[in-house]
Amino acid sequence: MILLTIAKSLTRIFSQARKELLQVTRRPAAFASLILGPFLLMALFGAGFTGVRAPLTTVLVIPPELDLPRDAQFYQDLSGPALRIVGIADRADEALASLDARDLDLVVIAPADATQALREGRQAEITVAFDEIDPALDTYDRVLAYNLSQAVNKEIITRAVQEGEAYALAQLEGQGDLTQIPPEVIAAPTRANTVNQSPVTPSIVHFFAPAILALILQHMAVTMSALSLVRERLSGTMELFRVSPATSMELLAGKYIGFAVISAIIATAIVLLVVYGLGTPMLGSPLALAAILALVVFASLGLGLLISVIADSERQAVQLALLVLLASVFFSGIVLPVQDFRVPVQVLSYVLPVTHGITLLQNVMLRGEIGDVWQIAVLGVEGLILFILTALLLRRQLHQSVRG
Amino acid sequence: MEGMAVAMRDVRVRFGSVQALESISLAVAPGTILGIIGPSGAGKTTAIRVLTGAVHPDTGEVRVLGDDPKRFHRATRERIGYMPQLFVLYPELTARENVNVIGSLFGLLWRRRHKRVREVLQLVDLWDARDRRASQLSGGMQRRLELACAMVHDPQLLILDEPTAGIDPLLRQSIWQELRRLREEGRTLLITTQYVGEAEYCDAVALISEGRLVALSTPDELRRKALGGDVLEVETAEPVDLRRLPRIPGVSEVRVRGARDLLFVADEAGAATPLIIEALERAGAEVTTSREYRPSFDEVFALLVERHRAQFGPSGAGA
Repeated sequence: MILLTIAKSLTRIFSQARKELLQVTRRPAAFASLILGPFLLMALFGAGFTGVRAPLTTVLVIPPELDLPRDAQFYQDLSGPALRIVGIADRADEALASLDARDLDLVVIAPADATQALREGRQAEITVAFDEIDPALDTYDRVLAYNLSQAVNKEIITRAVQEGEAYALAQLEGQGDLTQIPPEVIAAPTRANTVNQSPVTPSIVHFFAPAILALILQHMAVTMSALSLVRERLSGTMELFRVSPATSMELLAGKYIGFAVISAIIATAIVLLVVYGLGTPMLGSPLALAAILALVVFASLGLGLLISVIADSERQAVQLALLVLLASVFFSGIVLPVQDFRVPVQVLSYVLPVTHGITLLQNVMLRGEIGDVWQIAVLGVEGLILFILTALLLRRQLHQSVRG
Repeated sequence: MEGMAVAMRDVRVRFGSVQALESISLAVAPGTILGIIGPSGAGKTTAIRVLTGAVHPDTGEVRVLGDDPKRFHRATRERIGYMPQLFVLYPELTARENVNVIGSLFGLLWRRRHKRVREVLQLVDLWDARDRRASQLSGGMQRRLELACAMVHDPQLLILDEPTAGIDPLLRQSIWQELRRLREEGRTLLITTQYVGEAEYCDAVALISEGRLVALSTPDELRRKALGGDVLEVETAEPVDLRRLPRIPGVSEVRVRGARDLLFVADEAGAATPLIIEALERAGAEVTTSREYRPSFDEVFALLVERHRAQFGPSGAGA
């Protein structure tokens, strides 16, 4: 008797799963957008993102009275590839007008009293002007200005030491040995030797590929499942479910299995693209990767089915799924670090499956380790809570009286 | 309520300001077909939904196969087949897949399901269209597919909300034949229909109007109730002078349809016929034809509903 009950229960579950699979595969356009959409997004991201910021178009203003070189190439070598020195000007007015007109990104104005100030023991001021409303670019420009002023300082000190040493050698000629320290060592006595102990060479594409994989998987699972129960309700099949012996747990389990199979196919396709197409390293165990992806999908399906059970129309379900996507873009750590948010907002971050997915996938792919095990536990527990909550809400819907 | 497949006692349902069902009581014995008939918006579907447990009555008692629909046991649910009023199948799935899904939902295991899917699709004449998607079937075919779904698990009680709507007359006949065959096997069927003439196929008919049970009887009994008894239609060779017609025992009313065409309402047509002929001949009118008058059910129900409205007012149960 118990065996018969179990057999019937499994029949219901797998028939629901098969039904979901068939429904998705029978809509070729929808299926293609589910598989090809994420695939193309990943490919576009990998092929289209260079990670190199365009150099800032810069003009240097060097007053004629200053004894500094007037060759743009000299300063180009000094500033590096972040700036594109397009000219040297005598006066600031014209260069600043071009900056106002957004023809230039940066104007560097050397101080007219640089030599005088040095002799008097004062710091001369290099003015770096830019016109930026983006806070990230504002910071970037400031860092460039700082680096440029450091390079110019170094050049000034080097030249001063060269002059000083030449004078000293002339005075001491024939009077003994002079230990000569190279001017550039006096100007910059130390230099940094950086060593990145990460097992992979950092690359923007490789760093973000696991994050985008997690985001795409979550969004796809949420959207797909969010529409599922709403459609059953709107089409009227819920009326059959009410009469049938199927329980809310069986119906939900069937949907989970069906959507999980679809998600597994999509996840496999994207992982293959990420690893073999974009060349993102895969240092960890494929089994660990599969387990993390499965947990992200499990929790995401729970989120989607919860939306499905509370939404009263397809439009509302889609809107809620988009809200989850927006929240994921802002709070998952894909754009801004989670730790930069205040603690209450971090709670929201950690409710999103993608937040854990990003960290875990980056760890397993780029470091070859799982990292924070607690995040795996959070994904599992969140998925379980969402499953139970959705099953309870669905059960209530199946048993409560229809009005009107 | 004991021993009945379906029973409702004093069931009332109110949706906001609308009294959807007002004090409905009925009982359906196992192995019978109860037709639930009534004008659009009369409360037929609400009554069906009370029986499936989708609508909980405000007051009253309901028993379906011995269970309260609010708390159906799983085993009871497996014995119920239900066909909702609206097409609720999966458009992307084929006819066979749809029946398969519903069979699984009601707990049919693979071997039996495989056999039953074929049987019911053949029954509703959809076997040749088994691999066509539900969305590609015509309205009538979709309705038959739903019927197949409701029957696939061989239920003891079939609740069918307008199963023949949109189906051509020939197929309706064959579906009713199958429904009656199911009844012969001892199954109970509750069927709502918009085709009043189909009341003829039912063992009992519940006429619902404005949320009230207007009548619950066999089709013949309903005719008698509507007309006040058996009706004999008589044509004479000459016009009849009613003043010369004597009082006829067992005849309660004479209605004139034309100068030579009369309707006699009698307690019992067989006994009254010779007396009517004799009385007419005595009144100087030779009877050319006489036959029992069987009004259409449209006429019967119109009469009953009008009488009900006259009794309870146009709003019936009202708000």
